Amino acid sequence: MNQAHSNLHRSAWGDWWEGTRRTDIWWTLAWFDILLRYRRSMLGPLWLTLSMGAMIAAMGPLYSSLFGTNIDKFFPHLALGLIFWGFFSSLVTDSCNAFIGSANYLKQGYFPISLFVWRSMARNIIVFAHQIVLYVPVAIWAGVSLSWSALLVIPAFILALVNGQALGLALGLVCTRFRDVTQIITSVMQMLMFMTPVFWLPENLPGRAKYILWNPFAQMLELLRAPLMGSVAEAYNWWGILGWTALSVVASSLLFTKYRRRVVYWL
Amino acid sequence: MASISLKNVSVNFPIYGAGAASFKKTLAASVTGGRFGKETGVTVVQALSDINLELKSGDRLGLVGHNGAGKSTLLRTLAGVYEPSSGEFVRRGSVSSLIDPSLGIEADATGIENIMLRGLVMGMSKRQIDALTPEICEFSGLGEYVNMPVRTYSTGMLMRLAFSISTSIEADILLMDEWLSVGDADFTEKAEKRMKDVVAKSGILVLASHSPALIAKECNRVIHLEHGRIVSVS
Repeated sequence: MNQAHSNLHRSAWGDWWEGTRRTDIWWTLAWFDILLRYRRSMLGPLWLTLSMGAMIAAMGPLYSSLFGTNIDKFFPHLALGLIFWGFFSSLVTDSCNAFIGSANYLKQGYFPISLFVWRSMARNIIVFAHQIVLYVPVAIWAGVSLSWSALLVIPAFILALVNGQALGLALGLVCTRFRDVTQIITSVMQMLMFMTPVFWLPENLPGRAKYILWNPFAQMLELLRAPLMGSVAEAYNWWGILGWTALSVVASSLLFTKYRRRVVYWL
Repeated sequence: MASISLKNVSVNFPIYGAGAASFKKTLAASVTGGRFGKETGVTVVQALSDINLELKSGDRLGLVGHNGAGKSTLLRTLAGVYEPSSGEFVRRGSVSSLIDPSLGIEADATGIENIMLRGLVMGMSKRQIDALTPEICEFSGLGEYVNMPVRTYSTGMLMRLAFSISTSIEADILLMDEWLSVGDADFTEKAEKRMKDVVAKSGILVLASHSPALIAKECNRVIHLEHGRIVSVS
């Protein structure tokens, strides 16, 4: 453990960085979370790929005929929608349990709490990596042509991670103190799945319902999905997400600064 | 040089009963002007109050007091788990906490994997852990079992593993809740010797115990806690 420890003059930024830089700890913890979950199954984490693949394959033809859209266009849209939505939603719901699930460590000694938010994020990134590979055959089958604009997915993903960390800290703190919030978040995420163009195409929205596209998840999804489908997201999505990011970073910094050392008392 | 300094340290625990942790009740209390908020009034337990303590290398401190006097809370505060509600706390030197060695053992991971996980959490690098692993396996005497999931272990075997890992790194400050004694006759003897080594190498020892004989044997300073206060120092 650390060499000098005191309750005086601790900067919040320093505490955050201390947890962030111990990549080896949080990455190993996350890796073990996945490893232990699938230890006794034969296919292991491949189940993540298989179950997502089955869902995409089953829903693609059905929904494209329900909506009357061309399957070549709809299939990649749906595949990316489901994969990214799965990532967003488990990232958010897992962060509610980031500290509660790490109580056995937090009660042993001093740990910078950002470590456990990274742990939960790393775990979800590993899951996501097992699922995004499914997009390769889908894109080839649908004949998606990519240009250099596909690289825009990189800044979009970084923005998603920044939001994941900020929301993770904030939700982790709030959900540890108020245990009901976890339930609220779970049901809100379920509702948002239908309010976000995961299945449906945004261009099918009637004009008066366009405000739905200001939902941060819809914008984030658009930023990540458009480049991978060979198009470019509209500028208002970038502005919208930058605004949401600023909001979540400010809110979580306030909570983190004030309550980061109180979490243990709430466990 | 290891040192610990506590000045007027108090630790208060808010106890959120089933009622108070609920968002609904806090919300109800805030919109109804607090009329229904009585049950959200959080009970605060003062676990430690006004603790003053200075420790330097060579100090062997014994903590005595009845159950609930604040011994474990003080140990945990020294470990850095609880941030004091008020007062100043400064600690220098690396810490090894033997408060509850079996906390944080993953039942589905193997013995070897648990050594890796615990080692990382205790602040070691992967390379240091790899270097220490054979010695830990050897000392635990678990043989082939180190490659089996910990859930297949007996209680004694689990304790052996936890003990071997926790005592494998040297630290300037050693925090203990009762003397650790584990396993069968053979292992107890080995463990006893190891404990003595670890204690001898540490700069500061803080030991909470109910055994006057143990405190008399190991410690050169004793504080007596009652209701979270220091009532006597010797």
